[in-house]
Amino acid sequence: MKILKLFAAGAALAMLAVPAQADRLDDIIASGKLRCAVTLDFPPIGMRDANNEPVGFDVDYCRDLAKALGVEAEIVETPFPDRIPALISGRADIGVASTSDTLERAKTIGFSIPYVAYNMVVLTKEGSGINAYEDLKNRRVGSTSSTFEALALEADMKKWADPKGAFQAYQNQADVFLALDQGHIEATVVTSTVASDAVKSGNYAGFKIVDEAPYETDFTSLITLREDFGLINYLNLFVNRQVRSGRYAELWGKWVGGPVPDLTVPGVYR
Amino acid sequence: MNYTFHWNQALRRLPEMLDGALVTLQVASLAMLIGIVIAVFLAYGRLSDNRTARAVATGWVEIARNTPALFQIYFFYFGLGSFGLRLDPFSALLAGIAFNNAGYLAETFRGGLQAIPPSQTRAARSLGLSALQTSVHVVLPQMFRIVFYPMTNQMVWSILMSSLGVIVGMTSDLTGVTQELNARTFRTFEFFALAAVLYYAMAKLTILAARLIGWRLFRT
Repeated sequence: MKILKLFAAGAALAMLAVPAQADRLDDIIASGKLRCAVTLDFPPIGMRDANNEPVGFDVDYCRDLAKALGVEAEIVETPFPDRIPALISGRADIGVASTSDTLERAKTIGFSIPYVAYNMVVLTKEGSGINAYEDLKNRRVGSTSSTFEALALEADMKKWADPKGAFQAYQNQADVFLALDQGHIEATVVTSTVASDAVKSGNYAGFKIVDEAPYETDFTSLITLREDFGLINYLNLFVNRQVRSGRYAELWGKWVGGPVPDLTVPGVYR
Repeated sequence: MNYTFHWNQALRRLPEMLDGALVTLQVASLAMLIGIVIAVFLAYGRLSDNRTARAVATGWVEIARNTPALFQIYFFYFGLGSFGLRLDPFSALLAGIAFNNAGYLAETFRGGLQAIPPSQTRAARSLGLSALQTSVHVVLPQMFRIVFYPMTNQMVWSILMSSLGVIVGMTSDLTGVTQELNARTFRTFEFFALAAVLYYAMAKLTILAARLIGWRLFRT
């Protein structure tokens, strides 16, 4: 009798323990909803259209993923600095927000394989006298807080340590362009996609791209919590499938145009 | 919440954050000093018979007290910038907080001035002191005693307001440093909790220091 009771108690405990172990992938399927943290201040990757609806490469990417999972997509607008709090506090399931896959960050969150890659360019105004990346060392420069290019540019400014040089980090891309337009900063380093979009938009007089920034290619990944391996596994396959099916190239052509960035690194797996 | 805290990683960067806290104290103290000087003039302006002086002082107080500090700082940076007048982030933040401080302190000072019996001014003037001498030697010392503790609150508020500097590109103050560390490591909770503790400590230390100074200056 006693043994039977113990067994029953054990079984009950085991049943209690099982749902707590469920991967976030199960939660998404069960809830029928995929909540993506997307930065809508990063045209043409994430932005709002004339009707204030979220659109862009990342938005479409999230919808494709939701479709593959057979659930509904929900876009959770998330500025760059808030991506991790959004995931950890459970406001979003995954981040589709061009997150650069640094080793330092991988200590905290889980990355998929790269889903899109960027190159950085120097954007300045006509008449600034800046023609190359090295010209930035004694200038006032700035970028969007919490981005790959902001960290890289700030690191170089610190390394050059020119007394006339100064680095400023703004809260969003629009403020960076406003600061450049008004002359608070003389140049910014920004992804080539955003830069050409700003030049094409005609909103800013005299903006011009002068040089490529000598950084490594900025591979960016989908993100979720570190321990949700089931979901990360799914995301990896999804990224692979997007390329295989040609959808990646199609989306890139639709929103950005030009050569489609290669997502592989020669000479190494993954 | 499924999250493992790594406090060591944050604590290792404490020196950088303390440097940031120093910049925060610097900008808050400077803004307080500038604010006090302007507020004395504004308080007299509010009580003045001169219509222009009263209008200017009232306008300043109304705008400073009834618009968000965030907009005020934004105005000094991007607002003036659109007229070709460029302040660096430190100056724009300083100007924004000083503007806000002056508005709030002006009303505090006005209350302090009105609490001093007008007969004292008349007595001082009849003893042959000039209007300026009356203010400097009779009225203002008493006023500062009355408003000392409300002023301390404004100093605390000034420290906390300085965290808004990040919206105009401030990277060297406590919030700016915290945000950069966060971007680098994604240890958001650890770094922001640590920053909150540092802000709390600064506010508490300010109040403690003010008590000591107040006891030294104003004990009877």
